[in-house]
Amino acid sequence: MSDTPPPLQVERQRKSRLSRVSIVWIIPVLAIVIALAVAWQTYSERGPVIEIRFENGAGIAERETELRYRDVAVGVVEEVRFSEDLASVVAAVRVDKDVAAFIDVSASFWIVRPEVTARGITGLDTVLSGVYIEGTWDSKPGTPQTSFDGLTDAPLFRPGGNGLEIVMRTTPDGTMTDDSPITFRGIEVGRVGKASISPEGNYAVAEALIYEQHTGLISSRTRFWETSGFTFSVGPQGAEIDFSSIATLVSGGLTFDTFVSGGEPVDNGTVFEVYATEEEARNSLFQAADVETLEARVVFDENVSGLAVDAPVEINGLKIGEVQSVLGVIDEEEFGDSRVRLSVVLAIQPARLGLQDDVTPETAREFLADRVAGGLRARLTNASILTGGLKIDLVQVDDAEPQTLETPEDALPIIPTTESDIVDAAATVEGVVNRINNLPIEELLGSAIDFLDSAQALVGNEDLQETPGEVRAILSEIRTIVASEDVQNIPVALNASVTRLESLLAEIEETELASRLVNAVDAAADAAEGVTTSVEGIPALVEQIEAVAAKAEALPVEDLANQLTELAAAAEGILDTEAARQLPADLSAALNEINATLTELREGGAVTNLNATLGSARRAADAVATSTEDLPALVERLGNVLNQASVTIAGYNKGDTLSREAQSALRDISQAADALTSLARMLERNPSALIRGR
Amino acid sequence: MELAGKTENIKSARELGLVACTRCTKVWPAGTETCGRCGKHLESRDTTSLQRVWAYWIVGFLCYIPANMYPMLQTRTLLTVQEDTIVGGAIELFHYGSPGVALIILIASVAIPVAKFLAIAFLAISVLRVSSISMHQRQLLYEVVEYIGRWSMIDIFVVAIMSSLVQLNTLAAITPGRASLFFALSVIFTMLSAQAFDSRMIWDVQSGNPDAPDTSDSNATSDRTAT
Repeated sequence: MSDTPPPLQVERQRKSRLSRVSIVWIIPVLAIVIALAVAWQTYSERGPVIEIRFENGAGIAERETELRYRDVAVGVVEEVRFSEDLASVVAAVRVDKDVAAFIDVSASFWIVRPEVTARGITGLDTVLSGVYIEGTWDSKPGTPQTSFDGLTDAPLFRPGGNGLEIVMRTTPDGTMTDDSPITFRGIEVGRVGKASISPEGNYAVAEALIYEQHTGLISSRTRFWETSGFTFSVGPQGAEIDFSSIATLVSGGLTFDTFVSGGEPVDNGTVFEVYATEEEARNSLFQAADVETLEARVVFDENVSGLAVDAPVEINGLKIGEVQSVLGVIDEEEFGDSRVRLSVVLAIQPARLGLQDDVTPETAREFLADRVAGGLRARLTNASILTGGLKIDLVQVDDAEPQTLETPEDALPIIPTTESDIVDAAATVEGVVNRINNLPIEELLGSAIDFLDSAQALVGNEDLQETPGEVRAILSEIRTIVASEDVQNIPVALNASVTRLESLLAEIEETELASRLVNAVDAAADAAEGVTTSVEGIPALVEQIEAVAAKAEALPVEDLANQLTELAAAAEGILDTEAARQLPADLSAALNEINATLTELREGGAVTNLNATLGSARRAADAVATSTEDLPALVERLGNVLNQASVTIAGYNKGDTLSREAQSALRDISQAADALTSLARMLERNPSALIRGR
Repeated sequence: MELAGKTENIKSARELGLVACTRCTKVWPAGTETCGRCGKHLESRDTTSLQRVWAYWIVGFLCYIPANMYPMLQTRTLLTVQEDTIVGGAIELFHYGSPGVALIILIASVAIPVAKFLAIAFLAISVLRVSSISMHQRQLLYEVVEYIGRWSMIDIFVVAIMSSLVQLNTLAAITPGRASLFFALSVIFTMLSAQAFDSRMIWDVQSGNPDAPDTSDSNATSDRTAT
């Protein structure tokens, strides 16, 4: 840097004071302006501080506990301190400016805490978030107020009107559950608040709120009653427990109904009575003078004791009113004599007459006038036999003299009367005694004495007295007969007879069986004998068979008998044939023929043939011999068969084995017979076979 | 800086009739209107520097007041809502047994910003009169202030991150409090304030009259000291 530029005179720029101020200063100015504006706005929007006095702090925290209106925060507690005398806690609440105007005399404040009741849990959110102060006030701005007394509980009535505010009062000496729901058909339609006892102590009063949407249910005719607790009853249908809801069971409650029409809408502050039961409530509707009563007068000619003030007035058993006053009257002008008459003033409830439209005394009077013209009369009658109390009954008298309901201008209408129907208990007893008195007891006694006399005379008769003796004799005779040994032995003899009969029968059975066995054995022996007598014995055999068959025939089994008969017949037929009978003759003839043949041969001269023939003949003779030798076996077999048959027949009684054995026996017999038949046939067809052996 | 402590010999560029471009640092003869290299408007001394310093300083300071009064962080859990101011939070942390964290918060959010305000104010005042503190120290102080200013934003970052991460609906939620905005503004304005300070003015005071610098000087060190 050798060539250093010459030092320059730096000129100070001359600027105006304003132009020398940097534009940047706008920023802090703006910031300050904004800050001031915000501060001013905050300040100006800050609402007033109100002080609420509470009995205790209950968890109110400075700068945290909110003041809420309809559950929206409208302020916050700025300070919590004690009142000067330490008697209460004062919470200073900074409220929003826009609601501050409404916080006037109408405002009330209370602390919302978590609460667990039978109806549920409320304020649960405050468990976590801490308590808050709830405030309520009407929707009309008023003169702002800065000091309030907090409530201990949430008020039932909220300013601004969220329902019908009525007052509940117990009946004298009645009870009521306060702080409980009012239900209708099981729906909670309102609440009863805290109750207080009247200064006289005879009833309790509580505020009650009917929610806005249900206010139409309440009219001047509405009656409230308790539904607390439950009823338990045991009846024909079994045990029954009844309660309207768990909530009312635990905490009690009220319900209501409007039993009759014609009520008028009620205003806030109307007082209702709370009855113990629905029945009472229902009855009360007709006792309470909520409608002006119709007063009427009845004059009874007789003057009977027992009618008192408040005695019921009934029509067809339904109470429609009460006796208001009872007076004795003497009015010569009106009644014509100076007797004391009973003048009764009745108070009739028009509502109980069941009138449809207008329930007023006037319509009731018209109704009564109409009915009186139709025969309605008043009479005295017993209210209770025991007490002797009387009541007034309005009854329909069908054949009554026509009368009208007199309605004097300045007096009460007079209901005509009819004969009283009083059952005087004392009079009744007297009547009973009189009737007993009047009974013809003496006559009765006279008759009884006569009767007894006659009876005595009858009894005193000798014949009659002997009768028992005779009867006794007869009886003793009978007893001796009955007691005699013969009579007593009758059963024993009978028994012995039966035993003997039994043994006899058994014997008979045995004898028969034995004889039959013997017969069978004999027959079998005979048969065997017959068979062994050789071929000539066949007819005898046949006879035996016949005998067997006959015996079999004698047996009750016809099938068997028939079969045996047939068999026997067949056998007989076979054996009786000519061929069989001529068998020996044929044999002789054959021998003769042989002889003849031999003679021819001898004469013809064929010696070899002769020899052969002789050989043949010898063989034939052998065959015949063997044949004849077979015959005894056959006969023996037949004998066996017959034996078997006999056994079978003998064992007939042994049950169903019989049929089987008999059948097999028959089969054997028929086989034997077949064999004989075939033998006979063969012999018949070819008698020479016997000779030739084939 | 080998010349530290020997300020008597230092000549400013202005005294040598030179002006440096603050953007590209090229030196031009005094009186040159614009930098021939980068085109920036050249000015030997920013005459409104101090005004801007003070303006920003005031705004920053104004913002710092609500930043400490209002809650910095709103921590909403299932049961409670907790709002903590900067100092209150630090104290609470200290009570809970985290003195380290409390110290960090106190340093980052209280000590540094306050020190910055003081430092800038001191610098802005000290350029107008001869100070006992050497110019080199003041230059160092200025550089430190400018460097450290941005770190104050760490508070804002923490709040931003926390409130974006912890959003569990009803269970827990962290939302930035009103103070965070003011704190951010305060930091921004103090940084602007520091930037607005023309540090060349530190060196003018030695000549006694910055408004009328004398022309007699040596050329030797003009380049070096032209800042």
